[in-house]
Amino acid sequence: MLKNKEISSTELTKSVFDRIKAVEGKVDAYLTLNEENAMAQAADIDSKLDAGEELSPLAGIPVGIKDNITTKGLRTTCASRMLENYVPPFNATAMEKVLDSGAVITGKLNMDEFAMGSSTENSYYKPTKNPFDTDRIPGGSSGGSAAAVAAGEAVVTLGSDTGGSIRQPASYCGVVGLKPTYGAVSRYGLVAFASSLDQIGPLGKCVKDVAMVQSLIVGHDKLDATSAYREYPNYESQLKTDLKGLKIGLPKEYFGEGIDPFVKQSVLNAVKEMEKQGAVVKEISLPSTDYALSSYYIISSAEASSNLARYDGVRYGFRAEQFDGLTDMYERTRSEGFGDEVKRRIMLGTFVLSSGFYDAYYKKAKLLQRRIQSEFAQQFEDIDVIAAPTTPSTAFKIGENTGDPLKMYATDICTVTVNIAGLPAMSIPCAYDNNGLPVGLQLIGNRFTEQTLLNTAYAYENIVGGFKMPEL
Amino acid sequence: MNIDIKHIAKLARLRIEDDQLEKFESEMQGIVNMVEKLPDIDDELVLDASNPMKLRKDEVADKKFTRQELMQNAPKVKAGCLVVPKTVE
Repeated sequence: MLKNKEISSTELTKSVFDRIKAVEGKVDAYLTLNEENAMAQAADIDSKLDAGEELSPLAGIPVGIKDNITTKGLRTTCASRMLENYVPPFNATAMEKVLDSGAVITGKLNMDEFAMGSSTENSYYKPTKNPFDTDRIPGGSSGGSAAAVAAGEAVVTLGSDTGGSIRQPASYCGVVGLKPTYGAVSRYGLVAFASSLDQIGPLGKCVKDVAMVQSLIVGHDKLDATSAYREYPNYESQLKTDLKGLKIGLPKEYFGEGIDPFVKQSVLNAVKEMEKQGAVVKEISLPSTDYALSSYYIISSAEASSNLARYDGVRYGFRAEQFDGLTDMYERTRSEGFGDEVKRRIMLGTFVLSSGFYDAYYKKAKLLQRRIQSEFAQQFEDIDVIAAPTTPSTAFKIGENTGDPLKMYATDICTVTVNIAGLPAMSIPCAYDNNGLPVGLQLIGNRFTEQTLLNTAYAYENIVGGFKMPEL
Repeated sequence: MNIDIKHIAKLARLRIEDDQLEKFESEMQGIVNMVEKLPDIDDELVLDASNPMKLRKDEVADKKFTRQELMQNAPKVKAGCLVVPKTVE
């Protein structure tokens, strides 16, 4: 965050927009650009800095925002036809905090429609490409957020994570991503997908940047009844590289058959490096992991079907042109406005909540959720952090999994349990395969232990000398 | 477990066209087969005592929006009201 007169915000912002002009055609990370406003914001910050004002570390820094976070006056589409022309009259709380810090907003980033997806191929508008290999997906649903950081099209970005949507693209795109503890960051203004799982979180090229943004966006918000009453530290100032005595748990269920051998080995090698620095490693077991994917899809779809009921063409958003009566208007609006994956999840959610099935599916999934939470809690009595792969493989090719929803869902297997348990987790790069594609190391902590996660990640980053970004 | 796609679609206010029905049905069936494999649990559902939700009072919030601001995204407006199909016969 070099505001010590090494570079001005105007120069930095201009260089980011020059970069966007140069590579956006290959990456397609953005849905809406905010260049004019951004340059004005940058100029404003420069004059404040020249006047000697004390500003936030994020002041003047170009930040990209995932398009499911409302930005007042700036189109917010959730990558859906349903909100193609929706301009929010309000900012998400996390946005207000970012704006108050003086950050420069570069634009809105592409994603899977309504955050439902694992590849950003479900965007109504276009797929985003992985900057490490533009024939491959960047991951999802925060694909634009991860790709923009990797491609240098933003310094840091905000994404959201419901089942892995920050960590998984961070893993595929070789950047740092953090999903905070449920309740740490306000969900006000984050367009709701699964209200008991959603969280906004930062992505960046290095741990320091992510730590800095995290401190800015946390906090209790009276507009979000699920936000926690807590004080949070200045994460960046407390970062340390000392791993001595850190107890790392390796859950055997995350290193099973479905995980690519190279990924497995890379994660284990990374943990070995930490062990050399004094960390203590222990094998653990989380038996309910097997059921995590199922309970995730039941809970998230049920909540999604309820949250997406508001899209009816009445007060805002898309409305079908032709219809015959109210019910027909609802049906046509929703059928024309939503993509296939969104419809699948709404249907699944409606089904599991419907009369006669609620007990067998939703109620059971909620009971299982508690079991998963207590399994983690028990393990955290003896360990500080859990290490695992973020994804079972490196980035797959565009179009490879679109024909098979179940195959697509299976790529979330290492990440969803964390959302079910409400825990914080990060992904950092730990290796690159034969094709040069990044492998993600996932670190999972107990509730509100983001500092431990950030420290562990920071220490590892220090061991390897930083994370490399791709040549485009 | 057989799913009545047409009934679910009606509840969800979605239209699944006839040529899409079969594909949708088989995809849904596959997903339901996956989620069906849950263990039997005898526990009872209880509320989480560690995070009591403090609800806001039912009073006007301090944010003030103008009608103009809130209506700006409306599909069809007339005389300051939202225009919708007839709701009462």
